[in-house]
Amino acid sequence: MDRDIEQLNSALNSVKILRSNVRRVFESVSNGLRADHGEEIKENRYILELQELLTTVNNNLRDVENSVANLTPPPGAFNLGNTTYLSQETTQDRQQLYGQLVNSYKWTDKIREYSALAGNILASNSFNKTYKTFGTTKRRKTQTSNHNVPPEIIENLITSIDRLFSDVTITASRPFVPNPVIQVALGRVLRAVIAFKGLMIEWVVVKALSEGSDVWTESRYKVFRKVTENCHAAMCHFHSPLMPDLAVRSFMHWFHSYITLFSAPCKRCSKHLHSNLPPTWRDLRSLEPYHEECK
Amino acid sequence: MSTLGTAIDSLTAAMKCNILPNQEYLLQGSVLDQYVEVLLHRLRGLCDNVDSGPETFNDHELCYSLRINSANAPCILPLRVRRALDVTDAPFQLRYVGQPELGDKNRPTVVRSSIDMACSSTILEFLNELGCRLDFEYISRGYMFRKGRMKVTVSKIFKMNGMSNKPSEGVEAISQSYLVELSVQAPLGQDAIAEDMRIFAEQLRPLVQLEKIDYKRLGNMMS
Amino acid sequence: MGVTILAQFPVENKTGPQIIEVLSKRICALGATPQGQFLVDCETFTSVPALGHQRTVHVLHNSEQPATVFALLETGTKTIPLVTDGLFDLLIMKMISFYQSKKHTKTESKGPRFEIGDFSVKLGTVNITSNFKGILVEVEYKPCVVPAMCWDLIMEFMQGFLGSSGPTAPPAFLQNRMQEIYSPIDTIQQYLEHFTIFRKSTGPTMVMRPQQP
Repeated sequence: MDRDIEQLNSALNSVKILRSNVRRVFESVSNGLRADHGEEIKENRYILELQELLTTVNNNLRDVENSVANLTPPPGAFNLGNTTYLSQETTQDRQQLYGQLVNSYKWTDKIREYSALAGNILASNSFNKTYKTFGTTKRRKTQTSNHNVPPEIIENLITSIDRLFSDVTITASRPFVPNPVIQVALGRVLRAVIAFKGLMIEWVVVKALSEGSDVWTESRYKVFRKVTENCHAAMCHFHSPLMPDLAVRSFMHWFHSYITLFSAPCKRCSKHLHSNLPPTWRDLRSLEPYHEECK
Repeated sequence: MSTLGTAIDSLTAAMKCNILPNQEYLLQGSVLDQYVEVLLHRLRGLCDNVDSGPETFNDHELCYSLRINSANAPCILPLRVRRALDVTDAPFQLRYVGQPELGDKNRPTVVRSSIDMACSSTILEFLNELGCRLDFEYISRGYMFRKGRMKVTVSKIFKMNGMSNKPSEGVEAISQSYLVELSVQAPLGQDAIAEDMRIFAEQLRPLVQLEKIDYKRLGNMMS
Repeated sequence: MGVTILAQFPVENKTGPQIIEVLSKRICALGATPQGQFLVDCETFTSVPALGHQRTVHVLHNSEQPATVFALLETGTKTIPLVTDGLFDLLIMKMISFYQSKKHTKTESKGPRFEIGDFSVKLGTVNITSNFKGILVEVEYKPCVVPAMCWDLIMEFMQGFLGSSGPTAPPAFLQNRMQEIYSPIDTIQQYLEHFTIFRKSTGPTMVMRPQQP
């Protein structure tokens, strides 16, 4: 039995490797000629690269075939429990069960998956982490000052920011309740994805309005990558563990000044462009626009 | 560095390789309202999208024609626009459908030439100003299934109440039955698919008889 | 898709390839990298007399949006844009008895394409039925979608490498829609605007030389 499972594992593994390498082939084909193929014999280099990839795929395929050949088919029929009797049922209104069965199967599957995730998160954020050891005098402060805050407080903060600026639209999603991820659209200029950890800003990514909204991929535009970098700097600058909501508010105030990202010239050189970028830095106090090189 | 070819070049190349889906293979039939549930149930079992269930649609179709009434040879180009009333951000669909060819007894389906394209919502104004005349319009609501390349629609046709700006208000069903269509868009000469369609249609009997409908003969019967 | 500005570059007794070479050198000196070629083409169809008052359909393609066909219908009083897919070309062929291709109006602008920062620059040689007509420079600022916000910035960029020939005011077509979200059809409308001017003119103010490799 153990041996079977081991073989099954290795077979699945080789299928995985095959899939990933086939993916690489398609990636290379869809990218076509790239700059790193150089100038002169780039077609040849490209073909060589493709050949190499295809050879790997061939080898992987052989591995898959070998490992599949090693597998032994399970003896006998699977035991499906009571569901086997379903096939005996012929009246139609009973057969409507099928759709419901599929749905309930999906539900249980999802519940399992989510509860496993939730279990992990709860385990790492256990309530015992509150600063009990600090002694009784400081107990009041702990209410406002860390990442274990009730969701309503964060909710209130977000809606109050939403009300603060008329040209900012915020949409929030909460994959894990106490740590919302919000998307802040700044007029028609840009969009930021901000992940919170309790009341603290954990991560900021700035992108074009047309780009996707996940937290991990960075923008394909240089200007937004620069702004993202500067946002990280500002996020650290404004960070204040004792007054986290003030930190978020000041950050948002500063961030709002990017509404003029494309239209405002640099305060120092009064030009729009410097190394083909608009002024991507905003002064932390005066909110005035500067080029990276001019600040 | 290689130079770019024009879009027309690539289109003619695609035509030469015969990869443009410019033919439609079609079978049609109908089913009475009271049996449509049974048919839907049957289709759910036969078609690919089992677990998500059938896809519903609610479309407004406008049939235009571009015509010149010259004495010797009147020229008519029929054009249809379809838009989804339930999905407002979906593109509009513009469609040219040619005369159906019935062929002989051995040919299992009707074949008609068809050019299908997505377009922006300006298409209605575009056609009006192009010189097209709106012949008729209707609402089609129903279910869509697919089985491989085949598309099955079960839809009810509604008459419009003359209000083009509010197409879904005051509509009236034109009959007590649903229209059932089985179709495939394919390049010229892929007749094998027609055989697949015949076999599939066979499996829906006797609930619905999908056949080659000869509109010319229907017209004669009416007059 | 960002805001795109199209501007004509004066020919002044030079051949097309010469100007393209000068401009390519300038833009590369600023740090641009060549990124292949581009092509915008336009064919014009007019309605047959039997169809009533005359209407014109311009069908344009842009290699930046290779799966899209743009059509602009001019009725005399207004222009209706249509964005559709590649099979529209097939349909226009079906319309042969209603709309016919206008002779000697096939216009195209093609040439090298460059990327520099978030800008893309295209240097197009305009030919009408393979007669050289002039040079069109296209600059796109990709991150921004509202022309009013980035017009000054694009103007600064264009003057940076076109010198005094760079534009000083937004293209006529864009002036009424500076606050709208920019879309690919707006680029096409700018091209059509320039193509129409080129078609009316009688060729570049220079001696014709054998053009185009």
